[in-house]
Amino acid sequence: MPQLNSVYRHREFQDLLTLTGYERAGGWNGLKATLEMTPDDALYAFHRSGLRGRGGAGFPMGRKASFLPVDSGRPTYVVCNADESEPGTFKDREILDKNPFQLIEGVAIASYGVGCERAYIYVRGEYGHQWDVLLRAIAECRAAGRLGPDAFGPGAPFDITLYRGAGAYICGEETALLESLEGKRGQPRLKPPYPAVAGLYDCPTLINNVETLAALPPIMHRGADWYSAIGPEKSPGTKIFSVSGHVLKPGNYEIVMGETTLRDLIFDLAGGLRDGREFKACWPGGSSVPVLTAEHLDTPLDYESLASAGSFLGSGGCIVMDDSGCIVRASWRLAHFYRHESCGKCTPCREGTGWLEKILGRIVHGDGRLEDLAMLESLFGRISGRTLCALADGAVAPVQSALELFRDDFERVIQQGGSPVPEPMGVINA
Amino acid sequence: MTAHEISEFLAPIRHEFADQRSLILPALRFAQEEQGWLPQGAMAAVAEATGYSQAYVESVASFYDRLYTEPVGRRVISVCTTLSCMLRGSDELLAHVAANIGTNGEGTSADGMFTLQRAECLGACDRAPCLQVDSNDQQGPLTHDAADAIIGALRADGAPTRYDR
Amino acid sequence: MPEHDEAPIIITINGQAVEARKGAMLVDAAKAVGVEIPIFCYEPRLGKPIGACRMCLVEVEGMRGLQTACSTPVAPDMVVNTTSDQVKGAQDGVLELLLANHPLDCPVCDKGGECPLQDRTFQFGPGETRSLEPKNHFPKPLDLSPLVALDRERCIACFRCVRFSEDVAEDGQLTFHERGDHTEIATFSGEPYEGRFTGNTIDLCPVGALTSNPYRFVSRPWDIKNAPSICAGCSVGCNLEITARDGEIKRLTGRPDPNMAVEEGWICDRGRWAFPALTAGDRLLMPEIVDQVGRRQVRIERAVGDAGAILRRSGVRVAFLLGTPVTVEDGFLALELSHLLGDGPVARLGVADDGLGPLRALPGAQMDDMDGADVIVVVGGDPSSQQPVTELRIRKARRNGARVAMVGPRPTALDGNTAEALRTVPGRLGDAIDVVAERLLGSSRAIVLWDECDLATEPDTAAALARLVASTPGARAIELAADVSGPGLRALGIPATGVLEQIEAGAVDVLITVKADPTTGPGGARWAAALNQVNTVIALCTHRSPIVDLAAIAIPVLYGLEEAGTLVSMTGRAQRLRPGAAGPEGAAAAWEVLVGLSHRMGQPLPDRTAAQAFDRLATRFPAFAGLTCTDLGLLGVPIAAGTGGPAAPARQAEGEGLPLVVCTPVFGDATAHRSDALDCVREETHLGLSPTEAGRLGVSGSTHVQVTTPFASVLLPLVEDHRLHEAGAYLVLGDPTSMAATLLPVGRGAVCAAITAPVAQGVGA
Repeated sequence: MPQLNSVYRHREFQDLLTLTGYERAGGWNGLKATLEMTPDDALYAFHRSGLRGRGGAGFPMGRKASFLPVDSGRPTYVVCNADESEPGTFKDREILDKNPFQLIEGVAIASYGVGCERAYIYVRGEYGHQWDVLLRAIAECRAAGRLGPDAFGPGAPFDITLYRGAGAYICGEETALLESLEGKRGQPRLKPPYPAVAGLYDCPTLINNVETLAALPPIMHRGADWYSAIGPEKSPGTKIFSVSGHVLKPGNYEIVMGETTLRDLIFDLAGGLRDGREFKACWPGGSSVPVLTAEHLDTPLDYESLASAGSFLGSGGCIVMDDSGCIVRASWRLAHFYRHESCGKCTPCREGTGWLEKILGRIVHGDGRLEDLAMLESLFGRISGRTLCALADGAVAPVQSALELFRDDFERVIQQGGSPVPEPMGVINA
Repeated sequence: MTAHEISEFLAPIRHEFADQRSLILPALRFAQEEQGWLPQGAMAAVAEATGYSQAYVESVASFYDRLYTEPVGRRVISVCTTLSCMLRGSDELLAHVAANIGTNGEGTSADGMFTLQRAECLGACDRAPCLQVDSNDQQGPLTHDAADAIIGALRADGAPTRYDR
Repeated sequence: MPEHDEAPIIITINGQAVEARKGAMLVDAAKAVGVEIPIFCYEPRLGKPIGACRMCLVEVEGMRGLQTACSTPVAPDMVVNTTSDQVKGAQDGVLELLLANHPLDCPVCDKGGECPLQDRTFQFGPGETRSLEPKNHFPKPLDLSPLVALDRERCIACFRCVRFSEDVAEDGQLTFHERGDHTEIATFSGEPYEGRFTGNTIDLCPVGALTSNPYRFVSRPWDIKNAPSICAGCSVGCNLEITARDGEIKRLTGRPDPNMAVEEGWICDRGRWAFPALTAGDRLLMPEIVDQVGRRQVRIERAVGDAGAILRRSGVRVAFLLGTPVTVEDGFLALELSHLLGDGPVARLGVADDGLGPLRALPGAQMDDMDGADVIVVVGGDPSSQQPVTELRIRKARRNGARVAMVGPRPTALDGNTAEALRTVPGRLGDAIDVVAERLLGSSRAIVLWDECDLATEPDTAAALARLVASTPGARAIELAADVSGPGLRALGIPATGVLEQIEAGAVDVLITVKADPTTGPGGARWAAALNQVNTVIALCTHRSPIVDLAAIAIPVLYGLEEAGTLVSMTGRAQRLRPGAAGPEGAAAAWEVLVGLSHRMGQPLPDRTAAQAFDRLATRFPAFAGLTCTDLGLLGVPIAAGTGGPAAPARQAEGEGLPLVVCTPVFGDATAHRSDALDCVREETHLGLSPTEAGRLGVSGSTHVQVTTPFASVLLPLVEDHRLHEAGAYLVLGDPTSMAATLLPVGRGAVCAAITAPVAQGVGA
């Protein structure tokens, strides 16, 4: 099936860790083309490309950018969300430490469109190595005048500030990220107002994922129509999927939307399962999405198709589990994640994620009762859709769908007195 | 770590933030570099250098996983145990590392060399099971022997000059 | 702020058409028509809504999912449902989730019975738990401070206390730590929560997480009665609520329905916890007389009878001295009685009026007028210590965009982030007039707060300041009145002079004092001598103090929270005191004693209740014209401003040496000293010097110094403080038994003091 290294330019070209190397690979042509347009035309190009946010929400990038008021009297900001922390997702990591200049160029392009003079890249605290690479890349750009007082032309300044997180998944939520960037505890804000109107420091702010912004240089270089023609109409372009779990070739794969199925991704690109193993389940879009079973393997990978299949494309972090794994134990492990990461601001998430983990923990360790399943189902309804942000919805989705699709497994674990620790896949092809 | 040192660190980047409260997080990280964690005095110095109350600074620091308001070992070893890593042996790796350094699961070794902690998804699922030493590049996939080798090498190293947790 | 002059918006709530103000949140629009939408984190006094607790989720037609009613403003034609199954399920769910980890402490929790979490659960929540899981635990109970206890397990993370600390008191101490279900309230590294307003977090907390240590296990809601009243601790006149059990005050809280025009529901920690002074050991419980037998206790009928007999003597010349907290009714009845007795002098013990007339003639303002000010200038004084809740209002004004300047010789809690500190040389506020003028330039809604004591010592500055404010468009003034009684007694025309002079001229036979002991205050020595010249002192008083021993008849009277009466606040607001405690058995209200005396004299005054007294005085005194006691209601009424008064020339400070800067710390006064609850924060009388000045005087490092003025010489502890101006000696007044206030002249004028090392004692013994 077709792959297109549009974002992962480093898979086609060598030496992209220097500015000259990047330019030799065709880099900076996107920004050059953008600077020859008016900002309005650039915005229109974003819109026409059909590019959708790649962080998880899938909101059309051009439309989001057009929400920023032009006459607010306040500076506009662009913030790049490099807080990649969704379980199973490591696509942005590879952009940051293998193709950093493409991200920088993409941020510059977006900034030009919305009239931003200083953009921020918020990098998750644990990405120390990626931080170093990005820091060097930015320094090189400044030295070469690509960032600084004349970056967009004489007297037209643009620069990027790197900001480092300190370990909190919730800071990947856009308003929590802004709070963290403002030097506060990373807790989400009430929306409205949305960041486009009142974001960083109460100013109009465009906030986008790494992959989204890194997609912009080829779009502006080759044209919005080139991009919108790739893949399905409502879901154009390429998407990087991170595949992990029980596959033989875990890794990042940039595929053309719609022309690749889940089966292609898992069994072809990611090398499939071990001999003698059967596919059990996968979480296709990071862990905050409903789980899918073998019957969904022929779903094309695009926003609409995955939604029709009952899940979401999300971040594209596809976690695969074969029949050696226990869905109940997996759900419990995910429940722990959400409980640990809950910011604590709103009641249903703060109390609900803990309760979910406690119940699932009891079941896994042999202390479960069949009535617990009804309790779980009741809790799902009391948590989902009731909170300040989507973390809680992400906590409910995988467990609720697992219970729906694998109820027998849950009942069996309860009846047999717990879930024995499975034999892990371990290091293969090391 | 003094307020003056922190102010010197902040001076060249102050102009990058329209609201100076933003400096609290970089200041905390910088202050943590000295001892690898944030004693009371370090947080008080951050408060003084940034102009916010000590209580506020501590409130921010305590929110984040990689800012330590209690002492930790010379090296912090994070073993990711979220789903992808769990499926590939993270729990066994964690137990093995714990046995190596002599802790009972998560905790700090008696000789103060290592703090072992469970971590949530480190974005290295393709290297599962993996571990991360402070904020260095995530290492994996690791056999238990490979993990032992990493720990052995760390033992031989001296203390880092600055701690990047 | 929502506009009030726009047409109301019509929305539908549960099928009922409702009118709402533009900008109103759904919670408030519903409440106005009696529809309760439960809340926890919503508290408009803390700032914009945050939508954290999720308790107020409602259905709004056309909007996906449920909306938080606290943060959703009304919009034309909005259709809201607060009672649908979905909403009820959400309410039940939030409560069930809150109770998942909330400990089952009700039987031992002070909040029980007056607990919003209990009430909401009863109305909107589940009757039983479905949780089988062990609850999260925290070590408990903890003391956040000796006054406030913290139970982290009960905390529902509603943000109220941390927002109060950060955004109202701005004390930067109380914050959240950790995250998720490990979230806890904490101070920096466990240090105690210190401040002037910490008790408000107890009122704010909707559960038993923050409770009052002094009130711990004292009473259950079914044993108590609550009554609204006014704090008599300072001239702000905060509205508060008394909790009494068996006639004794057990607790004070802010009013559940705050008076937004005065204190907004906040009270200072002194106001909250000073009430044990009412039952302090030195409270006078029974009347005492001195007769041939000696000094002995008698019943009040006997005491009043004896006093009446004295007053019946033909030609007797009687003077009245009114102290604090004397009510308007007390003052009126004193005037009435004085008239019956031949119009002898009636005076209040306070700051003399000379020269303050021009300032008092300026347009006045209420506390809430500060909310919209563009410039606030505080001239002299230290409101944070003397009129504490004023500080909260000033901070609020600054958050609303006002520029604030503090002018004077004292360091204040507002210096720094909140206010520009314009430090003046002690005794020379006048030097700052030009700078104040600069700050007022261009303003249209300025408020100038001026300190009564400081401006009284500099009448020329008072005149200049008054001219400046009068010529600034839109500017208004608030007097930082020194005592609770002053504004009310001034409205009755009662001066601060006349009695002492008449006594010294030999023109007074009988002095009746009401809640006053002049021998421990400014000019104390002179007063003590004068009292010896008087034939008879009849003291209506509250606590045992030197005047009781000088009095032939001492009658205990009720005061403050024990009595009904009217106080006028520093903003000229007449407010109603309502009794919340019975007071000592042998005591009566002062005004009642005065009426009793009129009966004994055979010229009975008609007043049987304080309300009647008020209604009668209102017909006689222009300031209260047109008012009845009922009109004062629960929120009080601003009264007509008094007439001005002439300016006065500059005055020379008496004495030689350093100008004395008088400071009255918030936890230093008599009531704070008498209250055991405030043991932990009590401030002691001392003399403050800058280290430079201490060196120059040769007292560096001394523990004590001798402070000498023409009026007294007192040994005081020395505290060196680099924030103090070197050209001043800062007299920090605390417990009156230290007699430090006698260093000041009668009327609290300006004085200089000689500071020397203490005289060596027992040398060579």
